[in-house]
Amino acid sequence: MTAIVNAMGPVAAYRRIAVFGGVYSNALALEATLEDARRRDVEAVFCLGDMGGFGPHPDRVFPLLRAAAVLSLQGNYDESLASGRDDCGCGYTDPRDNHFARISYAYTFAHTSAENKAWLGSLPRHRRVQLGGSSVLMCHGSPRGVNEFLWESTTPNGLLRRLFRDHAADVILCTHTGIKWHRALPEGQHLVNVGAIGRPENDGSPRVWYALLTAGCELEVEFVPVRYDHSRLARQMDAEGLPPEFAETVRTGWWTTCLESLPARERARGRF
Amino acid sequence: MRDMVPVLEARGTRVPSAPFVRFSTLWVQVTGTWCNLQCVHCLNASGPRDPWLKPLCAERVRHAIRESEALGVKDIYFTGGEPFLHREILPLLGFALAAAPTTVLTNGAAISEATVAALASLARDAPYSLEIRVSLDDVDPEGNDRVRGRGAWARAVLTIRRLHAHGLLPIVAATEDPGGEGQVGPGLYGRLRDFLVGLGIDKPRVKILPLFPVGRLASRGGDLLSEEMLDGFDRARLQCAEARVVADGGVYACPILAGLPGARLSAGDLEESFRPAPLSHPGCVTCFETGMTCRNA
Repeated sequence: MTAIVNAMGPVAAYRRIAVFGGVYSNALALEATLEDARRRDVEAVFCLGDMGGFGPHPDRVFPLLRAAAVLSLQGNYDESLASGRDDCGCGYTDPRDNHFARISYAYTFAHTSAENKAWLGSLPRHRRVQLGGSSVLMCHGSPRGVNEFLWESTTPNGLLRRLFRDHAADVILCTHTGIKWHRALPEGQHLVNVGAIGRPENDGSPRVWYALLTAGCELEVEFVPVRYDHSRLARQMDAEGLPPEFAETVRTGWWTTCLESLPARERARGRF
Repeated sequence: MRDMVPVLEARGTRVPSAPFVRFSTLWVQVTGTWCNLQCVHCLNASGPRDPWLKPLCAERVRHAIRESEALGVKDIYFTGGEPFLHREILPLLGFALAAAPTTVLTNGAAISEATVAALASLARDAPYSLEIRVSLDDVDPEGNDRVRGRGAWARAVLTIRRLHAHGLLPIVAATEDPGGEGQVGPGLYGRLRDFLVGLGIDKPRVKILPLFPVGRLASRGGDLLSEEMLDGFDRARLQCAEARVVADGGVYACPILAGLPGARLSAGDLEESFRPAPLSHPGCVTCFETGMTCRNA
């Protein structure tokens, strides 16, 4: 890593980075992801937020993030936990989604230490870095909203052009939806939703995903699958009394909750 | 018909407004208030005869979509009236889908098997999601038809089945207490989900809307918002802070207020309408109190 000055001021410059989002209290997947990234010659690892929610023992992820010097952002869940809000701020409008979101948030809030909540409160909302010739903006939901969903099938190119222009970026990295995707515009800008490592992406496989970005003549974007001991995680969730629907997702790779925010095309790919 | 809706006017006190935050959603009032049904709770008093708000010509719709795409719109919604009465609805949906994810709101009563097949083809070929939202107010035919008209239930359910059979995932939209009889129960959402599962729909999608004191129920009146009521409330959360509606005669901030003279923000230009919207209608109280959104999610 070197420091350079670009149009946005002084920023860190990299050649190769690993980026993930949506840890969702999945310490086992986080460990496996960090180990995998270390083997791939990355100069830095970034997390786009939402450390808690869904999984068991939320405090277990924080020592791992700190020990690996992961450069983290604040997601909507982190913001809610840090500020003591009474809901996760996920942006759901459906009663069933909100029912499970409430259970998840109450558990996570009760089991996250005050020290870790304060750490979440100290995280930035955005980060900018330089990756080769590209100015990269990292955010949680979108550059303009921490809980804005950017799904592949509902993010039009006209909106992307506006986001790149308004936020002076060549590359935007986000998460929040839990399903990865990448689109390069003809003009050369890239939107990369890095997906989530805390929950499988509704494809019938328990694996999770993170993204590798490498500078070159063209930006290289690679999504990396991560396998971890998902059965152990599911057992921990059962033991903590979390909804069986959550553990079922971990075991099968199919989403059973948070389904109503899915657009038609993404919903059609799942089982439920 | 305009006389049936409260006129928006200052009443000696300052009318509160919603800020314009950004342009995310384009609503197209494609058939105005022309509809094949005449529901007792209709938000804009639509019906089969002499629509007080005229349908839009196809070129006006295409112009609005082109303008919206250049402005970075996130999603497009077609409403009315009944959008499927517009003779160019399918090409217009195709045009919209080339620009952004598109939703069409329908009562399902004018959609043939051939139309469903054409919609499935559009959905398959489009770069973005096509959503079809079908109104159904009750799992019970009698309860539904009491507010939506005789035969409406059967035709809507047939359309829901056909959409499902073609791999489309319709969103079923229901109004709570559509008869305005104070029979608001918590179970409508669950009943509709169970009903859809019973039809063999394995991915049931349900949206519940509150009852608004507008359109055919406007005579019930209601309170207006005041600055005092809005004190401390984040007005940027109101959907009129980021939506605009193209209808006959102008651009509006809210789909259910389209056509009302006091709600018009511009004569037709979208960018000109990017200014604060007055919150001076009883329907604004419903949005404020329920936090509802007309968007899918």
